[in-house]
Amino acid sequence: MDTYLQFMVLGLGLGAVYIALGNGLVLTYRATGIINFAQGAMAMWGAYVFAQLELDGLLVLPIGSIQLSEEPLGVLPALVIAIVTAVLVGVLAHYLVFRPVRHAPALAQVVVSVALMLTLQALVIIRFGPNNIPVKSIIEPGTISLFGVDVSSREIIMTGIMLVLSAGVWAYFRFTRAGVATRAAAENERGATLRGFSPDRLALLAMVMASTIGTIGVILASSLTGLNPQNYTLLVVPALAVLLVARMESVWIVCAASIVLGMFQSVVNLLVLKEWWPTWAQSGIDQVIPFFVVVVILLAFGSRLPSRGSLQTVPLPDVHIPRIRPVSMLVLLGITIALLVWMKDGYRFGMTYSIILMLMGLSYVIITGYLGQISLAQTAFAGAAGFTLSKVTMNWDMPFVLAILFCSIVAALLGMAVALPAFRIRGAQLAIVTIAASLAIERFVFNNYSITPPEGNPIADPSFLGINLAVRDGADLSRLVFSFTVLAVATILVLAFIRIASGDTGRAFLAVRANERAAASVGIDVRQTKLIGFGMSAFTAGMAGCLIGYSAGQLSAESFSVFVGLQILAVTYLGGITSFGGAAVAGVIGPLGIIYVVFHDLFEIGDYYALVSGIALIITAILNPVGIAGATRMQIAWVRTKLGKGSPPGADDRPTTDRGAKAPALEGSDV
Amino acid sequence: MSDVKKGGLKAVGLTVRYGGNVANADIDLEVKPGEVVGLIGPNGAGKTTFVDAVTGFTPSEGEVLLGGERIDGKRPHLRRRLGLSRTWQSGELFGNLTVEQNVVVATRPGGLATVARDLFARRRKQVDPAVEQALQVVGLDGFGDKLARDLTLGQQKLVGVARALVGTCELLLLDEPAAGLDSSESLEFADRVRQIVADGGPGVLLIDHDMSLVLGVCDRVYVLEFGRLIFTGTPEAARTDPAVVAAYLGVPMENADA
Repeated sequence: MDTYLQFMVLGLGLGAVYIALGNGLVLTYRATGIINFAQGAMAMWGAYVFAQLELDGLLVLPIGSIQLSEEPLGVLPALVIAIVTAVLVGVLAHYLVFRPVRHAPALAQVVVSVALMLTLQALVIIRFGPNNIPVKSIIEPGTISLFGVDVSSREIIMTGIMLVLSAGVWAYFRFTRAGVATRAAAENERGATLRGFSPDRLALLAMVMASTIGTIGVILASSLTGLNPQNYTLLVVPALAVLLVARMESVWIVCAASIVLGMFQSVVNLLVLKEWWPTWAQSGIDQVIPFFVVVVILLAFGSRLPSRGSLQTVPLPDVHIPRIRPVSMLVLLGITIALLVWMKDGYRFGMTYSIILMLMGLSYVIITGYLGQISLAQTAFAGAAGFTLSKVTMNWDMPFVLAILFCSIVAALLGMAVALPAFRIRGAQLAIVTIAASLAIERFVFNNYSITPPEGNPIADPSFLGINLAVRDGADLSRLVFSFTVLAVATILVLAFIRIASGDTGRAFLAVRANERAAASVGIDVRQTKLIGFGMSAFTAGMAGCLIGYSAGQLSAESFSVFVGLQILAVTYLGGITSFGGAAVAGVIGPLGIIYVVFHDLFEIGDYYALVSGIALIITAILNPVGIAGATRMQIAWVRTKLGKGSPPGADDRPTTDRGAKAPALEGSDV
Repeated sequence: MSDVKKGGLKAVGLTVRYGGNVANADIDLEVKPGEVVGLIGPNGAGKTTFVDAVTGFTPSEGEVLLGGERIDGKRPHLRRRLGLSRTWQSGELFGNLTVEQNVVVATRPGGLATVARDLFARRRKQVDPAVEQALQVVGLDGFGDKLARDLTLGQQKLVGVARALVGTCELLLLDEPAAGLDSSESLEFADRVRQIVADGGPGVLLIDHDMSLVLGVCDRVYVLEFGRLIFTGTPEAARTDPAVVAAYLGVPMENADA
């Protein structure tokens, strides 16, 4: 029993950082209606600044750095500088990132906060390195006696500090004019504006407070765990679970839920070491818990969670309904084939990988561009197919075509399972479920050594009608026949996509995307439509996962991490989330794709790739919701009109945004 | 419309509660086949709640029958497929689709079998005659290629009617069709409704607080106040009924009519 108490107290360390991030999320949500996926990453920067000052007195800025002293800086000055940094991070995040999208659709808001998260993470890697660094503890380690058991005192003090700060947040909402107005603005933005409060100023204040409290929490907690670019970025996921438990608003429920969740995870980490605990469930179980919390809360209360009465005016960009154009397709195929033949080794591999990434992008286009559902779990679907592929080809000798079909169907079924919460929820809340699902699958399945052994998951080389399709053969690292196989699979899938997207199913998708209630009122089975959409999307992602597997000859969890998924979403949004063209652009510029390979080869951009794509995504989400492909189409249409050739952009061909539509996208009732 | 099956709508003891608040209390209402019935009442009386409950968009107690068959408990899209159609107060079109596609989607709502058909079946170039007919009935033939959101509110509401009429439509619920329309648009709308019914169309339940529209078109009216029915009878009787007059804040019907 004593050990349990000790572990519960240790769990308070985690609980303290959940309190910090959870409060930050509440502050931001109440002031702006935005769920800030970058909350952890924003808090991480200040903590890194603190840690570096404590290490060698160097103040690291995004560009350049200042040697403040030759010795490690004292705790107090370092803390003050870190907090000032946190304030600046909040101010910059408000003005450069969140303010411009305050009236944008939920998708753009999710994308922009994800983009900020990726950008900050990339910047941390560039400025502080990818490895874990130690953080000096502000609080002296020690023990105190609790119910006769010696327990660590640090975690208790940390939690105490966070509770005091939470009381400050609570008092702000309860007693200050600004805080009360923030609550009012959350209820009715226009009303608060008329009463003389600027929602914008209130949002700035909330963002600064969120950044500061988050930073303090991460500084405290990272003294226990060290800092690396992943861990605190992803701690936003359990914090999001806490946010949902608190129904997006209660500071005190955030505190209570954080403490319970932290303790629970800590105790589970003790339990998994017991003999009776099944070995297959040892790894990643602590990440599965937040996912279940999220799902249970959303299924139980999803429809009653508040949605804000903001002045939301700009829905999703329009969809350009595709048609099969044999000539254009043959030209595109011809160019691709010519490039594949002409290129060698690394470049050919990059080109091939681009085609695979295009399929990943297409899976986002289906689910988000057409159906309007935000899924951050696409790489989990791809990974599920990939890992199944390893099993069925090695253990069952399943032949190539059957194997990729079977594995993609497995992915589709997983996608449909993830779609179940989408019956009740939508928008940013669905994004929370899917990212939590993705993280749970990554930790519990992909990184679980008893399910996926650490020595790797070999995949048998593909062959078809006696022809060896393998990517490698002796010294040839990128065989043309494999590239053609990928191209053939991709072509079939793209043709299928165009047929479905331009048919009755595509129309039903767009109707559901535009207005779920109205869709139900014309006889569309909204739930079934979502199941079909998630299934199609996950099937496509699954095919991509299989091809990624074949391209490496074995699978590693890194290919399917949450971050890879977010990066592909980023480039797809950049390319244009509503069209095949967007997916194609995503393939070309996506991570490990051809542009990446070329730039890596010529300029050694490496770490800067993630930074540049993150910043480009923020700019795209703010300025140009139709993406690169949409903008290009608009320009072509404009040139055509100017030249007097063809008709001006007609009904089917109109690349405008949804401005002025009656129903906001991604809204509706439970049908 | 030729393919209209006849079936009346009947609500028995329909009750809707929002928390402790009773939005519809024990409402009995019937629309016989081919009949035009009005449901009127001041703002907040529970008219739209009633439509939402009958069509399955809000949970309710009591029975809803269409053509004699119980349909309460069925999800909204199934009620629509059985022939219970509705329009929305704010239009609620699919703004990103064309007018024609807005109507087509009601005849081809998708599903698993549809995916296979989309993939493999040959496409028909021709527009479904039922779709053309529905647009013609509401006077929007020639507007098919326009984007729905580019129409005026009045036209959007007519698209909503076409979308509700197409396919199986045994009974049409029109939720505040005149709200947001100017008086000439409102008169034109009334004409359209009369024509639809005169051509052997479905039964219509017309919900509005525009007295001139409702009383001019309907065979019978129900009057709601604070979620309760306070009057059932002919439009003429409604004009003079003291309870109805009082419900409309004591404004004599002659004035409200003007």
